[in-house]
Amino acid sequence: MNILETKGLYHDFSGLQVLFGVDLQVQEGERHAVIGPNGAGKTTLFNVITGTYQPSRGQVYFKGKEITGAKPHELTRLGMGRSFQITSTFNRLTTFQNIRLAILSKKAIRFQLFRKVDKMQDITRETDEVLKRINLDRERDLPAGMLSYGKHRSLEISLALATDPDLIMLDEPTAGMSRDETHHAVELIRRLTEGKTVVIIEHDMDVIFSLADRITVLHYGQILASGPPAEIKQNQAVKDAYLGELEV
Amino acid sequence: MRNSLHKWILGVAGVIILAIFPRLAGIYYTNVFLGFATFALYAVTLNLQLGYMGVLSFGHAMFFGTGAYATALALTHIQGFPLLPAVLVGGLAGGLLALILSPLLVRVSGTAFAMLTLAFGQLIFVLALKFREVTGGEDGIGGFRVPPLNIPGMVSIDMTNQINFYYFAVAVIVVCLFILWFYTKTPFGTLVVGIRDNAMRIDYLGFKLPQTRAVNLIVCGTFAGIAGAVHALLQKLVSTVGVLDIQTSFEPIMMAYIGGVGSFFGPIIGSGVLRLLEDLVIRFTERIGLVNGAIFILVVLYGPTGIVGLFHSAKAKWFHKEKVS
Repeated sequence: MNILETKGLYHDFSGLQVLFGVDLQVQEGERHAVIGPNGAGKTTLFNVITGTYQPSRGQVYFKGKEITGAKPHELTRLGMGRSFQITSTFNRLTTFQNIRLAILSKKAIRFQLFRKVDKMQDITRETDEVLKRINLDRERDLPAGMLSYGKHRSLEISLALATDPDLIMLDEPTAGMSRDETHHAVELIRRLTEGKTVVIIEHDMDVIFSLADRITVLHYGQILASGPPAEIKQNQAVKDAYLGELEV
Repeated sequence: MRNSLHKWILGVAGVIILAIFPRLAGIYYTNVFLGFATFALYAVTLNLQLGYMGVLSFGHAMFFGTGAYATALALTHIQGFPLLPAVLVGGLAGGLLALILSPLLVRVSGTAFAMLTLAFGQLIFVLALKFREVTGGEDGIGGFRVPPLNIPGMVSIDMTNQINFYYFAVAVIVVCLFILWFYTKTPFGTLVVGIRDNAMRIDYLGFKLPQTRAVNLIVCGTFAGIAGAVHALLQKLVSTVGVLDIQTSFEPIMMAYIGGVGSFFGPIIGSGVLRLLEDLVIRFTERIGLVNGAIFILVVLYGPTGIVGLFHSAKAKWFHKEKVS
């Protein structure tokens, strides 16, 4: 079953056409990578799916329901989570408080005005468990803005994961990371997304071929090819457009 | 353990000082203190917008003034209107105004929010100035009697007695401050701070942004209205200049910055400092604005975290405590 599907998705930025009828299909439980050269429209595709932009034409379906043009918070409540290419955390709050916001959202605690949040033991416990799992328990009380780059990126990804979504959209999770940090991040993603559906934008071919079950290649706003990694590697059109010079 | 003991001692000391203050300071300084206390509450409500949610309001006086007018009007026109409802009417009026404006105000932030609040603040100011039949125009509303505090079947405390009124006003303000302090500690309070840091991510975490902002605005409007109501009862005169003018909107901003935005108690300290200073400066010159302005500039330039922030960094320096605020 397709957990996420787009049909003929078009998007333009006041005249500049970025997406030309994208038909993306993501099956439940797979790790699906979206690759393509710079400017291919990968992040725009993400933004249209997750509600940052409205598509100019086409539909998006999530769990069989049409969600075209739905707002980010509605999608999150339906079970979609996303991380950002440019780290977007709550920089003046501590790591703990960052994750706690995600846990509060997961528990649907939104307009609770009659209890102290520090006294909510279950929330604190669960937040600490998450911090341990993502190896940030030592940075628990540090403001997110003071974390090292790699750890900050981990927090970014974990914020998306901590709401416990069924579909996780990761926009270049390893952007700007060192080799070592990338390795850790990939391990983290692998560990935390066990049994979940992941859509991931990446540039790092090692990451893609070690993580992804299926790959979609985006080129100038259109899907060039979609299939398992082995098939994509052999695809002549993909080689010409993107992979060719990489010799994978 | 030691920490909570500290807090208890501080709390008990605070209560004792508040209780014996009128005996120590005399009636003049008691009223100065009440002026400080109402503005402290008012500045705290502004800081819940500025320091907690990250939007600067240039028209916060509209909530304060609406509250003050509502209380004054109720006491003038309704015979035998009791005291506590008179205070609550002020809060209700402030909250209602916030509710009415919220559909517009919650959809903007940054400069647009500042300008929009400035516009609405001025609108309400002019409205109060021109709608003479109701508001008395420039003369305002005066001459209403502060009703006694009736506890049915028990006592009736005369509130024209200034000492009695002091206890009543301080009780109202302390209760309001406690409620607001508690409010910042709730899950919703952390959500508000999240909006300050990264509104988009709050949306992506699954929270409704406009509604969250609206609730914070209404809470601020309500308690600013209560501060206005207490102000009206204290002054026994409500007129546009003094509760609705631009000066009244700017004062809490200065208080918040001087005391320290982002800290709950910052605006209270800022309010105290400004009031003390005013009392000192007035003996030498009438140009209080000049002194206040100079201090404001100094704080913005050299201590953007305000007095509370300076205190924290000094503490960290002297005690070599690794603390990042």
